[in-house]
Amino acid sequence: MIKSVYIHIPFCKNICSYCDFCKFIYNEKWVGAYLTGLNNEIKDRYMDDPIKTIYIGGGTPSALSIDELKRLFKIISVFNTNDLEEFTFECNLSDINEGLLEILKNNKVNRLSIGIQSFNKKNLAFMERNADFKDALKKVDLCHQYGFNNINLDLMYAIPGETLKDLKKDLDLFLKLNPTHISTYSLILEDHTKLSSKNVSYIEEELDYEMFKLISKKLNSANHYEISNFSIPGYESKHNLVYWNNEEYYGFGLGASGYIDDIRYQNTKNLKEYLLGNYVLEKEILGLKEKMDYEIMLGLRKLKGINILEFKNKYSKDIEEVYNLKPLLKSKDLIKKKGYIFINPQKIYIMNEILIKII
Amino acid sequence: MRDAKIRNFSIIAHIDHGKSTLADRLLEITGAVSKREMKDQLLDSMDLERERGITIKLNAVKLDYNGYIINLIDTPGHVDFSYEVSRSLAACEGAVLVVDAAQGIEAQTLANLYLAMENDLVIIPVINKIDLPNANIPKVKKELMDVLGFKEDEIILCSAKTGEGVSSILDAVIERIKPPIINEDKKTRALIFDSHFDSYRGVILLVKIVDGKIKVGDKIKMMATNSVFEVVELGVYTPNEVKYKELCSGEVGYIAASIKDISSVSVGDTVTVIGNEADLPLEGYKEMKPMVFSGIFPTESNKYEELKDALNKLKLNDAALRFEPETSEALGFGFRIGFLGLLHMDVIITRIEREFNIGIIATSPSVIYKVTLTDGSLIEVDSPNKMPDKVKIATIEEPYIFTNIIAPSEYVGAIMELCQNKRGIYKSIDYIDATRINVHYEIPLSEIVYDFYDKLKSTTKGYASFDYELCGYKPSNLVKMDILLNGEVVDALSVIVHKDFAYSKGRAIVTKLRELIPRQMFQIPIQASIGSKVIARENVSAMRKNVLAKCYGGDVSRKRKLLEKQKEGKKRMKMVGAVEVPQEAFLAVLGGE
Repeated sequence: MIKSVYIHIPFCKNICSYCDFCKFIYNEKWVGAYLTGLNNEIKDRYMDDPIKTIYIGGGTPSALSIDELKRLFKIISVFNTNDLEEFTFECNLSDINEGLLEILKNNKVNRLSIGIQSFNKKNLAFMERNADFKDALKKVDLCHQYGFNNINLDLMYAIPGETLKDLKKDLDLFLKLNPTHISTYSLILEDHTKLSSKNVSYIEEELDYEMFKLISKKLNSANHYEISNFSIPGYESKHNLVYWNNEEYYGFGLGASGYIDDIRYQNTKNLKEYLLGNYVLEKEILGLKEKMDYEIMLGLRKLKGINILEFKNKYSKDIEEVYNLKPLLKSKDLIKKKGYIFINPQKIYIMNEILIKII
Repeated sequence: MRDAKIRNFSIIAHIDHGKSTLADRLLEITGAVSKREMKDQLLDSMDLERERGITIKLNAVKLDYNGYIINLIDTPGHVDFSYEVSRSLAACEGAVLVVDAAQGIEAQTLANLYLAMENDLVIIPVINKIDLPNANIPKVKKELMDVLGFKEDEIILCSAKTGEGVSSILDAVIERIKPPIINEDKKTRALIFDSHFDSYRGVILLVKIVDGKIKVGDKIKMMATNSVFEVVELGVYTPNEVKYKELCSGEVGYIAASIKDISSVSVGDTVTVIGNEADLPLEGYKEMKPMVFSGIFPTESNKYEELKDALNKLKLNDAALRFEPETSEALGFGFRIGFLGLLHMDVIITRIEREFNIGIIATSPSVIYKVTLTDGSLIEVDSPNKMPDKVKIATIEEPYIFTNIIAPSEYVGAIMELCQNKRGIYKSIDYIDATRINVHYEIPLSEIVYDFYDKLKSTTKGYASFDYELCGYKPSNLVKMDILLNGEVVDALSVIVHKDFAYSKGRAIVTKLRELIPRQMFQIPIQASIGSKVIARENVSAMRKNVLAKCYGGDVSRKRKLLEKQKEGKKRMKMVGAVEVPQEAFLAVLGGE
């Protein structure tokens, strides 16, 4: 069966204050060893299935040198990519240059995801990141010159101290870069981040909600297809939709997660263990009910919702037979229309409350 | 006759004055427990007791010292458990009164001493913790002499921690305390002063044999319930169980008789032996009246039967526990339970949750009100929801307590202010010595059940000690205040308040509830009302955000874990109408200010 692939590159030139994902400061020796490990893992676990989408994320994949990237793409070349539809590579603005774009172009990458997050000075200082709008204009232009026309920009909001006006400004600047896709995330304070040791608290829930509404309003000409994701119609992220459609994907690399043959797994975050070949840290073997629970939890993230017929074809059960949706349909938390069940768009921002009542 | 070789005694003390440490040292000195087995607070066998450093349940241990058999019966120090104290004292002929060398006499020292004197016990005064750098032995000696009337040469100095002076206590126990009267030939009568349930052996009785003897194989009868059992095992605690063939007059020990039916045993009852049956039971204990009542409901409604079973088992060794079924619209089926005080309530709830693993919601405690109706009849009301309609009430009386608050004199202002705020009526101030006072107020019991003790401690930097006795009922201008969530009265949240304090109390409660009730999918108005008049209102605004937006590399298992955690959190909530209310909210009506 056709699958997708996520590859994790856990190296960064700079550690962002909010990041709790698996990452290290870039170090040549470690990258070399890591790529060897990655090669072993892929050889070990890849079952020669055709691959639909590839996503190289991090960390910061663009932190790798040209030679390291060449090696990475050589490792990846084992994948059966005859039916490849989308190949995304995550990069930092400052890493974008001719050399990088050249090599990405030569290796079938057709989508870039640029982690800008914000152009606001206060926000950037808080996140311990850099971004400059003029520089971004130039870099995005360069990407276009190399034929990269499908570009996602990451935007982070609800940063302590941020106002609606700050966010509006950021959105305006992001739109000026003419992306095909914008991912927006409200800041989450996680354990094991630089922030967790500081005394930081969330912005007011009301303001967060106003920000979410502002984003939806500003990006209303785009297709709001998933809680956090907006795109020009036709440019929805095929890779991310694999997640939301509860389809299978490999996760390769340190700390990566995957979903293969009814097993959801999480790789170790310990580099030493990983290099020893002890890849998987945790496995969750899914029964029918768990698979359906995931379908609900993930499918309802899409504004379009879950296709009732497809659910039945996939699990041989009526969705409403398995889950008691009547009270939620009655209270208009859920809406049933044209063969789909979806969360009332007014309530999408409190979807966890609704999910808890379903599963 | 008396058996010259037996002594029965208790240790009485204010909380934290070192009673349990002294008991530990006595066990060690007499070789009852080897150094290796020794752990702190050995007699405090409940986890809860060690954790909080308090003694709740009494224990009896047999010690061997210089050819004498000495039975030590431990007692709790807290005011709520004076009932337990009187039970253990009834099994003794003497008591060791322990006073902290740095703290001096405290409120519960007095309370326990008076109990001991009522029981005609010989008192041995001991000043403990003499090794402390801030020990003030001359001052404490003077207090013992001036306030309690002891002679200087009676007072023993010791440090339970270092062991200094501990053997002189044992010598004094042998010299000064009378041996128990032995009536081995009389018809058997044994006083049950405690009991507990053992899953293998059934109910275990803790008894003092007053007359006659009991042997393994004897058929024993509970004189109050007339139920008969055959003794399977008996013995003493040293503190480990040591099996005996018989227990004789003057001895203290345990009896197991395959008693499965908990209700056939009651503490204070007399055990006699078939074939040598006594005519009259021993004088039991004065029934301890519960003063504080609270509704206790299982969080999961299918745990009602388990809760009932748990309460029955707890009642076995807590004779003061009273309960009857209660139904609440908001909380379903549960029990109205009578407690001796707030600590007692806390201990019972914690034991139900820990030992029986049943989640519990407790409603705010109430006292017993005496209500005279317009038709002249008098009723007792122990729950706000049983309060009759306002138009039917002529007068309401509430119980008052008389306080002993002992503290350094510089806190007199703070103490008086606190008492005034709690609707106290000033009575008098006694001087214990030049620097310490005993403040007497009459305060409505309902005002002290919750945070009085904590407030007293904080306003006096922990120096004040507090004890009280009930001093009767007085009429008060009281009203029932209802709390409405989302427009509906929640019966479990109703309280009875003084009319002059109703407004501020109502404000405090709705504010507290607003903090405790989490945002939900719709706005929730919280109101306090008297009759149909709303006196305070707050809103819990609608929830705006509950979503996990980030998706790092397809790590969706994590999202599911988060959802499951949130779902688990909901289980600790009670659905009241359409509103999810956390358990703590039901006690919120207590707080305030």
